[in-house]
Amino acid sequence: MVSRRGFLASGAAAAAAGAVGAVAGASAAGVAAEQNLETFAANREAQFFGPHQSGIELDIQAVTNMVALDLKDSVTKEDMLRWMRLLTDDISRLTRGEPVLADPAPELAIGAARFTAYVGFGPSLFAKLGLDSQLPEGFAELPAFSVDQLEDRYSGGDVLIHIAADDPVVLAHGTRGLVRDSMPFASVRWVQPGFAHSPGMIPAGLTHRNLMGQVDGTANPELGSEDFNSVVWIDEGPEWIRGGTLMVFRRIAMQLDTWDQLGTPSKEEVIGRKLSNGAPLTGTNESDVPDLGARHPNGLLVIPEFAHIRRAAPVESAERIFRRPFSYDNGMNERGSMDVGLLWTAYQRDISRQYLPIQRRLEKLDLLNKWTVPIGSAVFAIPGGVQGSELIAEPLFS
Amino acid sequence: MRKTFLLFIPIALFLSGCASDGEVVAQDLWVKSSEMSIKGGMSAVYGTLTNNSSQDVVLVRGATEIAGVVEVHEMAMIGGEMKMQEIDGGLTVPAGKSIVLEPGGNHLMLMMLTDDLEAGEEISVTFDFAGAEDITANGVVAKPAEGGDEEYHSGEMEMDN
Repeated sequence: MVSRRGFLASGAAAAAAGAVGAVAGASAAGVAAEQNLETFAANREAQFFGPHQSGIELDIQAVTNMVALDLKDSVTKEDMLRWMRLLTDDISRLTRGEPVLADPAPELAIGAARFTAYVGFGPSLFAKLGLDSQLPEGFAELPAFSVDQLEDRYSGGDVLIHIAADDPVVLAHGTRGLVRDSMPFASVRWVQPGFAHSPGMIPAGLTHRNLMGQVDGTANPELGSEDFNSVVWIDEGPEWIRGGTLMVFRRIAMQLDTWDQLGTPSKEEVIGRKLSNGAPLTGTNESDVPDLGARHPNGLLVIPEFAHIRRAAPVESAERIFRRPFSYDNGMNERGSMDVGLLWTAYQRDISRQYLPIQRRLEKLDLLNKWTVPIGSAVFAIPGGVQGSELIAEPLFS
Repeated sequence: MRKTFLLFIPIALFLSGCASDGEVVAQDLWVKSSEMSIKGGMSAVYGTLTNNSSQDVVLVRGATEIAGVVEVHEMAMIGGEMKMQEIDGGLTVPAGKSIVLEPGGNHLMLMMLTDDLEAGEEISVTFDFAGAEDITANGVVAKPAEGGDEEYHSGEMEMDN
């Protein structure tokens, strides 16, 4: 999915450079290797063409912009096709690290940096364009949850463009191009920037940490696995959604001031995992399966009744999702309280059968709710990928 | 099926099968969609023309179904202002070289548009060369664009740079 050639080449060159450098100092090979290492992030390229849109089944990138747009009043299905023509070409070029056509600042296309962007559609788009017959199964606005404190400025949207890259300048430049080409058709409803680790901080496949300190995403299906396919990628229903997925987005604010008042054992009981390495309280490694029946000698459950991982654990085998949460940091107030949290995303074939039952359990009882507040919410149906000269969502708007 | 992508448009110049030298290639073509690109209004075509032949060719004019008048333009300093004007004798693409048609520079000017040119629409454009066969590119996409400090750009001077 991601070209590792640049990375592997630079790694090998770096090893060679180490050997040579010890003897010859700044040899040509050493200089070249160092330069390769310095630009390894720029040279890593995600794959745009394929059965799925890019930026989902991919190790999380460093930075993201989620841009939600609302259609202009007069927009028709034909207009949507023209918009998708522009976006499809733009994204394919940006993914290769190239400027878009008509780019007023092509000099900012300095590298691929695993740039990805995918497009999704909210239920409101189907209503506006009279496309109710094309709605995927299990796709509808979420019900109100008792824990919600949702704000309009973070919620909803007819169209989502979810952009990510390993470099903030590449991200900003790409975002600008995609938004510029969207303005004839829609207005920006909200934009939510986020981040994960920089490239080189975490080995591929390892779970990253959120700003509460927890490793986040442990029970995810493995990228590239059959399991991932069966949890995430839709293979039936209307043509446009095949190879696509359904996304739940939640902006979840963290109450770090009160969270930080807890000691480590309390924090670990809230989640049911160790903070150090994400292992369940009943295990030693992150990948260990939690033993939800285990008890302390005094009879209390090791993973308490209120623990997040107990409440989130599937009751039916279908109740699984793929999470890909970025963090956000929106500054702080005069008392130093940080406005931070998660741009939490979950991908699945059917929201009603996968996310909803999990969320209903968490809503009823999950001690973590005390420190996490959903303040934004949206759902988007993500069309399948494109090949050759196909346009994103072409069968939906044709 | 209309061609949707314009990643690369190699145009066969010599339909009669002449020698391989003399090939002109048009790449990354686009046409401007702006508040001026309405019926009766104007637009311009941009992109890269590469002359792979061993002799210079000259872009003398162009044609497209959506414009009544098509001219080869350059931007020039006239009376202290950047203005566009038709290039006398056309635009030379030197042998073995590429030239770029871009906002604020050389371009194929479209005037007297026969219809609104909307973002994401595709048109066909023919380039007429002296010294080479004409070439026609299909699927030239209309991109929303302002800028280039071109004279017909309406409104006040913008701080684009």
